[in-house]
Parts: sequence; C-alpha cells; structure tokens
Amino acid sequence: MPADSLSSFALRLAEQLRHGGETFSEESTFTQTARELFAIQVERNSVLRSWCQARGVRPNPELSWRDIPAIPTNAFKEADVSCIPVPERTAEFHSSGTTTQSPSRHFHRPESLDLYAISVRAAFARRMGSAAGQRLLVSLTPPPAEAPHSSLVHMFQILGEQSRPGRTTYFGKATPSGWTIDHRRLEEFLRTLTGPILLAGTAFNYVNWLDTQPGPPIRLPTGSIILETGGYKGRSRELPRADLVDLLTKHLMVPAASILTEYGMSELSSQAYSDEAAATEAAPHLRFPPWVRTRVISPETGREVPAGQVGILQIFDLANVWSTLALQTADLARAQSGLFQLLGRASRSEPRGCSLLSLEIS
Amino acid sequence: MSLPNLFLADLPPEAALTPQLVQEACVAIKRNRANWLLHRSTQELVELLAYAAERWLQPEYGLRRLALSLAPDETGFGMATLARGLDTFFKQLTVENLNALLIQDLGDSRRLDEFCAPPGELRQGRLAHARGPELLVHFAAGNLPNSALFSLALGVLTKSAQFVKLSRSGSVIPRLWAHTLADLEPKLGSCLELATWAGGNDSLESMILSQAECVTIHGSNETIASLVPRIPAGCRLVPYGHRLSFGFIGADQLSTYQSQKTAARAATDVTAWNQLGCLSPHLFYVEERGVVTPEGWADQLAQALAERERSEPRGELPTDIAAELAGRRSLHELRGARHAATREEAVTVPRGAFFDGPQGATRVWASPESTAWTVVYEEDPRFRVSCLNRFVYVKPCRDLADALRQAEVVRGQVSTVGTAVSESRLTELAPLLARWGVSRICPLGRMQEPPPGWRHDGRPALADLVTWTDWETV
Repeated sequence: MPADSLSSFALRLAEQLRHGGETFSEESTFTQTARELFAIQVERNSVLRSWCQARGVRPNPELSWRDIPAIPTNAFKEADVSCIPVPERTAEFHSSGTTTQSPSRHFHRPESLDLYAISVRAAFARRMGSAAGQRLLVSLTPPPAEAPHSSLVHMFQILGEQSRPGRTTYFGKATPSGWTIDHRRLEEFLRTLTGPILLAGTAFNYVNWLDTQPGPPIRLPTGSIILETGGYKGRSRELPRADLVDLLTKHLMVPAASILTEYGMSELSSQAYSDEAAATEAAPHLRFPPWVRTRVISPETGREVPAGQVGILQIFDLANVWSTLALQTADLARAQSGLFQLLGRASRSEPRGCSLLSLEIS
Repeated sequence: MSLPNLFLADLPPEAALTPQLVQEACVAIKRNRANWLLHRSTQELVELLAYAAERWLQPEYGLRRLALSLAPDETGFGMATLARGLDTFFKQLTVENLNALLIQDLGDSRRLDEFCAPPGELRQGRLAHARGPELLVHFAAGNLPNSALFSLALGVLTKSAQFVKLSRSGSVIPRLWAHTLADLEPKLGSCLELATWAGGNDSLESMILSQAECVTIHGSNETIASLVPRIPAGCRLVPYGHRLSFGFIGADQLSTYQSQKTAARAATDVTAWNQLGCLSPHLFYVEERGVVTPEGWADQLAQALAERERSEPRGELPTDIAAELAGRRSLHELRGARHAATREEAVTVPRGAFFDGPQGATRVWASPESTAWTVVYEEDPRFRVSCLNRFVYVKPCRDLADALRQAEVVRGQVSTVGTAVSESRLTELAPLLARWGVSRICPLGRMQEPPPGWRHDGRPALADLVTWTDWETV
C-alpha cells in the first residue's frame, strides 16, 4: 500500500463530494468505497487493527459496509484512533463533555481538514440548497481562536467562509467555566440587519440567551436560517425541541421551517441535518448525506434491529479518512427509511441503584 | 387475583394524591395505632411477623404467587431471581431472629412492652422502657424491595403507625407484604399506609414530613439531601444513602479444588437481585499468590455466571441500560484487544502518541447474544464501579492491605466485604477491615443475605428508631 493511499483516496472522495456525493446513494458504490477505505485504515490505524483482530474481521472483497467493526466513540478518549503519524498532526478536535473525564481526541492534518471542509459544505448545500451558504454567518459560539479544539466552531467557520470570508461574527466567549454570550451586543446587532443570515449555535446557547429576558422581539430578515446543534449537557435547562422552536419563532419572528437541527460529533467528519418536516417534532428526523450511513443495533445481540426499533446508533462516515470510518456512538436512535431519530443516550446513571456515579469508567 | 383497595398505593395511578389526603391518612393510622397497636405485646407482633414471613415462603401462597407472576414486568427481576431473593429474606424473619434482634438492640425483648432490664442494668438498680415513634415514615428505595420489607417489620416491632412512600419502580412487593400483614391482622393493616408518587413532589413530601416523628430514607444521597431541609425540628432522621460492596478472595482459597467453589459463591452474590443492591459486589479483589491466578479465577467466575444464567436468567433490561452495559463491554473489549496486540505483535505505541487507558491486560468474558452477564478482568488494580446488572470486575491484589489501598477512593462508602479466606487468616484480616471502615464482613456467597440483626450501614436499625425512658429505681 503506498504511503499516500489515504491522500489519494481523499482526493477522489473530495471530487465526488464537490458534485454533491449523490453517487454514494448507490449501495454498491458505498460498500465498495467503504471497503477500500477500511482496508487502508486497518493497515494504518493500530487501534482499528487490534479491534478487527478481536472481532475476527479482515478486509475482504465480500465485506459489506455493515460488517466493518465500529469503534466505540469512548475509545477516542483514551487511545490514538488515528492514521496520522504523531509529528504530522496539526489539529485536534475534542468532545465537549464533563470536565472530570478526558475528552475524545480526533486528530487532523491539513489534508483531512480540507476534506472536512468539503464535506461540511456539501452536506449543508444538499440540505439547504447551494445558495444557502450566501447568508452572513452569525455564530453564538466563541471565535475559532478561542475554541481551537471545537469541531463545531470549526464547522461554523467553514460555513461562514463560504459566503463572505472574514465577515463571520461571533458573539460567544470562551471562559474557564464554559461558553458565554454577549446577549446585549447580539441583540443590538440582530436589530441592524439588512440581509438574511445563518444564525448558528448550540441548543444551550439559545436557551441561555432566551432565558435571560431578551429585549422585544426581533424580526430576522426574510430567508434567514437558524441552525441549532448539540445537546444540552447540563449547561442550561433542557427544553423539548418544540418549546425551543416556539421560543425562537416568537423572539426572532421566523417560520418554524427555517429552524434547522444539526447532529455531529468531534469523532466524525460529516453532519446530519433535520428533515424538512422536523420543526415541531420532539425528536426531529435527521438525515446524513449519502457518504454517511447509519445502522441501529440491539445492545443485547449487537445485530441490526428492525426498522423503527430503538437501539445503539452506529455511523459509517466515508469522510473520516484519517481515523476510522465506522463508529459506535453512545446514542440511542430509531431509524426508518434513511432517517433517524435520537432518543437520548445510553444510561449513564446507575440503574435503579443506590451506587455511585462519581467513579465512571476511566 | 385482585387486591382490595386498602392503601393509597392500591388506587389506580390516575388517582391524584393531595396533601389533605395524606394528612387524613396520617391522622387515621395514628388513631388506629393508639387504639390497637400500642397495646399489643412485642411477642404477639414478633409471632405475627414470623407467621407472615412463613406464608411468603409457601410456594402456593397467593400474594407470593402474584408477586412472582408480576415479575419481570413490574419488578424488573426474572422470576427465579425474585423467588430466590424473597426466600432468602423471609427465611431470616423468624421468631428466633426477631427476638435476637430485640435483645441485641434493646437489651431485652420486652423493652417495648414494659420497664425491664438485662442483669447488668438491674444490678445497678436501673430499668428502662423503649417507645417507638407515633408515626414512622419511610422513604423506600426503588432498586430492590428488601429494605422496605424490613423497615415495615421494624416499625411493627416499635408499634408505630407507618407511612411508606414507595418509589414507582419498586412498589409492588412492599405493597403485597403490607397486604399480607393486613390480611393476617386487619387492625395492624389499619395502622399502615403506603403511597407512590414521583420523588420531588414538594407539597406531598412536606406534608408527610410534617406529620412524622421519625423518618427513614433509603435512596441516593441526592434524595436524602433534597428531603433533609424539610424535616421539622424534633423529627428524627435515619438516612441510608449510597453504599457499595466488593469481595476479597484469599490465595488460600485458590487451590484448583477450592477456587471453583469460590467462583460459584461469587456468582451467587453477583446474581442475587441482579447485583442491584448496596450489598452486591462491584468487583472482586483476588490475591496473586494462589495456585489459580486472578485471571484464571475470573474465567471460573464467568463459567459460574453462565451456568447461573441458565437456572436464574437475569431478565430483560430497558434499552438505555442495556446500551450502557454494551457500550462499557465493547470499550473493555477494545482495551483487551489493544493490549493483546501490543504484547503479541510487538506493536509499539508511537512516541508521543496519546494513551490514557488502564495499565496492563484486560480480558472480557461475556454472555453470547445478550448483556446477561459480563466479567472484566483488569490487571490495573484501581477500584472500579460497575454498572451492575451482573457486570462485574475482577482485579489482582498482593494482599488485603493492597486491595484496601486501591479501594481508598470509595472508603467510607463501603457496606459489605464478602470474603473467601481461611478462618485463621480472617481473624487477622477482620480488624484491618474494621479499622478501614467496612460496616459488614461476611462469607462470599452471602453478601445479599444479612440477618435481621445486621447493623445497617453500621448503625443499629431497631435501636435507632426508639426513644427511652430510664428509671433509676434505687
């Protein structure tokens, strides 16, 4: 295998993604591509290699993408799930989470970040149309310089650069106790807008903002999009999505259909977006672009559950070229016809017990 | 079989409880207690409790059969697990054991009836009479029914009116036990009230606390912390919070012959109540110097759990809990694979690469096609909390002192240490465990079988409920 096999794979993939990535809707194309990438990753990623040995799976011409052993996302917290040699790592994305635990670490290099950017743009364009990126990005997160390890901020930056480089506005600030927002400055800014924007933030950003008694409602320019992402993780009160949508539509005077939910994680290189009809659903139906597939497996048997049943979400992302394409999340999901709904996380609490939470795994 | 509506907990779930309803119930049970229960002799009550327990040991007894038929849907336990748990509990509730408890905690079994005293006090010219609280309130835990069953029995001994707030997930068995008591003696039943509501209902909880003379709380530290500020001055609190347990296997019990027996006893402790109790082991520390190694013993434990699964299946779990078990299991499997590869293939972790996992080998034994049981052997000796439901860790240690050093992080929170060591060694080791702060030492295989006289979390359970009148006669 030539040393640049991943680079050449990435170049070919990027070319497909620039054209929308539709070709991967074809099952055989996806499987063939996944098989090819898997074979290189097994060679280059020792964690994946030992995992495959333990699972008794080797790259072979009959392998379906479904058979590729998925690495638990927790493994990124303690092992080097990467094909990039140590000296060549130029960036790393960390999972947000509790400070008591070490975060997931997903390593990158310039080529992987290039592909990441292409994947972000292509997925967003597929969902919102190619003109969607023309809107000015207004982000509730801190700027990239303040959050260099946030894949979310990096993703927002990519969406922002697409339209008017250098004009993205960040209203968040990274503080030792977490991200905060300058609510007053944000509201003032939103009142002066003339053209449509892409307002981007995490669900807890929005709740924190709208919980601080904002001023009178603001009418966002027609055509604006609100992007809502990430869970709450205990940083604000948790709101059912319908209530968050209600708060947003009232305060920003936008139709519910312009509120978009995004699902991604630091261990991935692509994102899923809520389906068009998602606005008022408690758990919106999400869809990945065609270069990402999902399976929902039974925690008991490890086998795929029938459509519509709840299980553990596995994600197969072809754009995850330099780590592992197959991941097993800690999220519970239900899938049907190419869409999936998130239904919480694997229970972190001690089940019905009177035991301790303080000594979680590792 | 349908139950009569005796208690608030018997009402359909849609029946809304109000503070007024709770208050009226308290007034009624206090009145009935004053009219009847207060005038019973302790022996009469001991015999009643023991007789009720005997009923529960009879396979054809209606309420027992109902309890088992409601498993696993209502209780979460498989029928065999539940049957074993109930048998273990009720076998201990005998006239002899209850009298032993009275004598142990109060010095004489008639202390709650009259002024009396054991010889030592008599010689000093002293007598004493113990009085139970007028209204004893219990906040019961949801994990398993034992503590609620036993709390009710204690309250009967102290001749108290009792109000039990049951958790939604654990209401069935205690409710059926109260029905047994009411069935055998309706006047006793009229001194009991049981109700279920979602925890955190401020108006109901404040009302019940305002009526109580003594309150026991079995639950998480958070539950206790949320209730404490609302307990009125003068009301006695008996809290039972977070506790966990582990096992210790001495090298002398690791001969080829002994170690399998030890593993079978350990499997008994892991399967009892599906490991959900405070007395259930999270892990076993195994001494390294035995004929069978700690890893070899973990293998034997896995075989024992597999066998137990056939006779006493764990039962189904909610998806989120099963997913937590599956997720943890795969992470340990990955660690094991990683370590094996590093060792066998001479794969070297590149310099500067990031590694933050446990040190040393990891090996996982797991039930096929299910999460029914999991044994994780980790060479890394640091204490680890299990996610329970028959998921247990095995770790090596040099000796007990070494194990206790590793368990330092949970010091002060350990209830039981189940031991498998020779008697002579245990005589040396028990004081070490006591000094370290363990509140109960018992043979492996009996961790979930404390006798009624057990000092719960290191406190005398019955004595903690009563108030004394001392009489210096001379």
